[in-house]
Amino acid sequence: MTDRLSVSASLTQRRLDRRSVLSLGLGFGTLLTLSACTPHDSGSLAEGEPVRGGVLTYFEPQTWTLLYPPSVGFYPNGGIMNNISARLLWQDPKTLELHPWLATELPETNADSTTYTFTIREGVTYSDGSPLTPENVAKNFDLFGRGDEARTLPVSEQISNYERSEVLDEHRVRFHFSAPSPGFAQATSTMNAGLLADSTLDLDAAGFGPGGATQIHTCGPFHITAETIGTKLSVRAREDYDWAPPHLKHQGRAHLDGIDYLTNNEYSVRIGAVLSGQADGVRDVQAPDESRVTEQGLRLYAKATNGINNSINFRFRHDLLAEIDVRRALIAAIDRQEIVDKLFTPNYPLATGLLAKGAMGYVDQSGSWDFDPDKANRLLDEAGWSERNGQGYRVKDGKPLALTVNIALPQPRSNEVQTLIQQQLRRVGVRLSINPGDQSKQTLDALELDTVQIYHSMVARADFDNLRSNYSSRNRDVFLNGADRPDADDDSIDAKVDELLETLASESNQEKRQKAAEAVQNYLVDQAYVLPFFEEPQVFAFRRRVHGFATEPVGRPDFYSTWLAGEK
Amino acid sequence: MILDTRYLILRLGQAILVLLLAFTAAFILLSLIPGDGVTARFADPALGLSNDQIAEIREATGADDSWWSRYVLSLTGFLTGDFGYSVQTGAAVSTIIAAALPSTAVLAASGFVTALVLAVIIAVFATFGPSTGPTARVRLVLDSVPSLFISIPVFWLGILLIQVFSFQLGVVSVVDPGPAEALVLPTLTVAVPLSAPIAQVLIRSITEVQASGFVKVTTAKGASELWILVHTVARNAVLPGLTIIGLVFGELVAGAVVTETVFGRNGIGLITAQAVTHRDNPILLAVVVIATFGYVIINLAVDLLYPVIDVRLRTKPSSASAGRALRIHDEPARRALTASAASVGVDLDWNDETKEKNS
Repeated sequence: MTDRLSVSASLTQRRLDRRSVLSLGLGFGTLLTLSACTPHDSGSLAEGEPVRGGVLTYFEPQTWTLLYPPSVGFYPNGGIMNNISARLLWQDPKTLELHPWLATELPETNADSTTYTFTIREGVTYSDGSPLTPENVAKNFDLFGRGDEARTLPVSEQISNYERSEVLDEHRVRFHFSAPSPGFAQATSTMNAGLLADSTLDLDAAGFGPGGATQIHTCGPFHITAETIGTKLSVRAREDYDWAPPHLKHQGRAHLDGIDYLTNNEYSVRIGAVLSGQADGVRDVQAPDESRVTEQGLRLYAKATNGINNSINFRFRHDLLAEIDVRRALIAAIDRQEIVDKLFTPNYPLATGLLAKGAMGYVDQSGSWDFDPDKANRLLDEAGWSERNGQGYRVKDGKPLALTVNIALPQPRSNEVQTLIQQQLRRVGVRLSINPGDQSKQTLDALELDTVQIYHSMVARADFDNLRSNYSSRNRDVFLNGADRPDADDDSIDAKVDELLETLASESNQEKRQKAAEAVQNYLVDQAYVLPFFEEPQVFAFRRRVHGFATEPVGRPDFYSTWLAGEK
Repeated sequence: MILDTRYLILRLGQAILVLLLAFTAAFILLSLIPGDGVTARFADPALGLSNDQIAEIREATGADDSWWSRYVLSLTGFLTGDFGYSVQTGAAVSTIIAAALPSTAVLAASGFVTALVLAVIIAVFATFGPSTGPTARVRLVLDSVPSLFISIPVFWLGILLIQVFSFQLGVVSVVDPGPAEALVLPTLTVAVPLSAPIAQVLIRSITEVQASGFVKVTTAKGASELWILVHTVARNAVLPGLTIIGLVFGELVAGAVVTETVFGRNGIGLITAQAVTHRDNPILLAVVVIATFGYVIINLAVDLLYPVIDVRLRTKPSSASAGRALRIHDEPARRALTASAASVGVDLDWNDETKEKNS
């Protein structure tokens, strides 16, 4: 008997042993990963005189997809286009003022902003050797302003009412618009209007895609020299670059010899490569890692994107959200401070308006979105949602108060944000489902009112037109408020939104535009259509030897004046 | 006769049929997924296109044609070697595939060879030596290695290897590695889980063959354990292993998806992962066809290798199928074949000789 007992004991012993060996092995490995203590970066932080030379290695989370300027809003595309292209005007990232670049002066416009005349700088050449001419500039904007569906090259969302171009003489080109287009001057300063050589303008969508990068000729400080599809893109400095924006102190060739853009989808590898000193920089450092980066002595940059804040938009055309009191109740039930405190860092400031503080048209609306669960409960009770079902969710006429929100995959920690909101809304008896799926599914589902009623998004452009890009039914249409929508035959459309945005789009005077922008924002806040969370930054980490890193107005890297210490 | 030409032609015909069926199934399944690449790309609010503009692009790309006409179009395209264009980037699928295929082929080959070596080492040491004493413990541990290996998540292993060998020890660079340097860690990542099923089958079949009568006879005649392993057991035990090798090729493709993503290698796996997120059906179709092609070819090669390795499986003029060539005294080989067939869900129906013998 004892024998048998001891046998079974030793059997369990052995089984335990094997299991514990297994878990020890896995646990040890994980510990090793977690305790990964990479060497501290002890380079000097002191800024000295820039030195020339060196190739910067820079990690992106996704591979670039298309270098057709109007489509470079996608971050990996923009990070490249911003450094290889030059534009007619240059926008100061701090003041957001426009300055000449390839145009010798700011454009002449008529009173109602329907024509713009640019004088083109002389002596500028593209990387294929062809010169920058008024004809070439005209050809560029004819494509960006109209698009070419046959080549699947879409029109630029930033250029509206474009009619035609007109070459006046050897130095001047004029653009005509069918209606006022006050945002055009700023549009010519963004990387979405990066100028292309004639040969590049004839390419179709395939020519702008992976595999053909070295055929894309631009006139910026860098040009594309080599491409490994899916993993790497190399750009090198142009020795003859001598047309930097006159506003800048740094003129002539870029300090760096070049940049290698590397792609790796795996976050731990990207951040690890920079922490271990194998790469110089990385974009998209996630909030929980910020402290790790600074503790290792690296440079952390949180660059403002100066656009619409990270927000959720209530699609008021849906039955459940049609009542303003329901929307107000949802807003009162959501604790924005908790979201920012729990999931983010001080680099993600709580939103004080629909727009970020640095954005054009900003108006302070703090106090419009106070957290007050009692008020939320009261409003919902009054709105007829006083009954609860077995699960504790509010019901009216047998229908539960259940809504669905999308996951904004390009935005930081969208899923976590929504999970937190899910819990907060649960407390007032509102059921929030999070729409699952990858980017394509999110895009497609977000187009259907029945699938997604609360839309999480963010968009950045340093112009008043940003408001229109985001809220207008003709552009991003976050509310699904378009009169031409197939499900639009009811009278749930709020025409006032588009009306106010059209007023904003047609005002050419700066002061009037500010007034119009405020009117739009006040209306959206009064109607409780939007709940903004935080001002979304772009967070970069660089080794200490990387000096002079800057971004353009919406947070895309600008490596023109960047230099590497320790290079000769 | 080692190679039966009629059999070969028959198998090649089957292979083409499998390819066609895989293409059709993939096409139908991809068409069934709601939403397509054109909408996914151009209806993205980030582009700010109006419904009319999207409709024009859909018209221009033929996205609204009936599935039947799109099927015929892409099938004829594939037959003439034209894989179409990526919906996401507009680049020719053939360009994308051509850039990705060599890297995957190299990774697959090196991963496969490493897995094979690993599997053979594990299998031999798990079955070799006395079954009592200290070596028995080693055997026991090695015997459980395949179950451990098969449970290791590929992505975890990849990240762990990078953390240790690249970020901690600095042995391998992830940023700008040489061609051989770039291959070491991904190869290990692919090989470890891949070696598990091969090792497992090898261990079982070696154990089975070792237990059979003719091995006992050889032992009784005084042959050493090593001699027996090399000369008697190996050849008999390798057949099921060969079968499983053909089957794990699928796992190799799946492993490549994760491995290439973690290591940032531009290969078939990486473009597959990206194509899936972008609903890039032309790329996915091409990948399915290429993977099927590889699978069919490997399994055809394995089938053709059987008679080379096992004399008993060579066809004789009198008997058309391999099964019938097995005599009753080939019980171990037969059992091994049954076991390997059962592992893929095929119930081998031996002719009635056994039953007659039993009754």
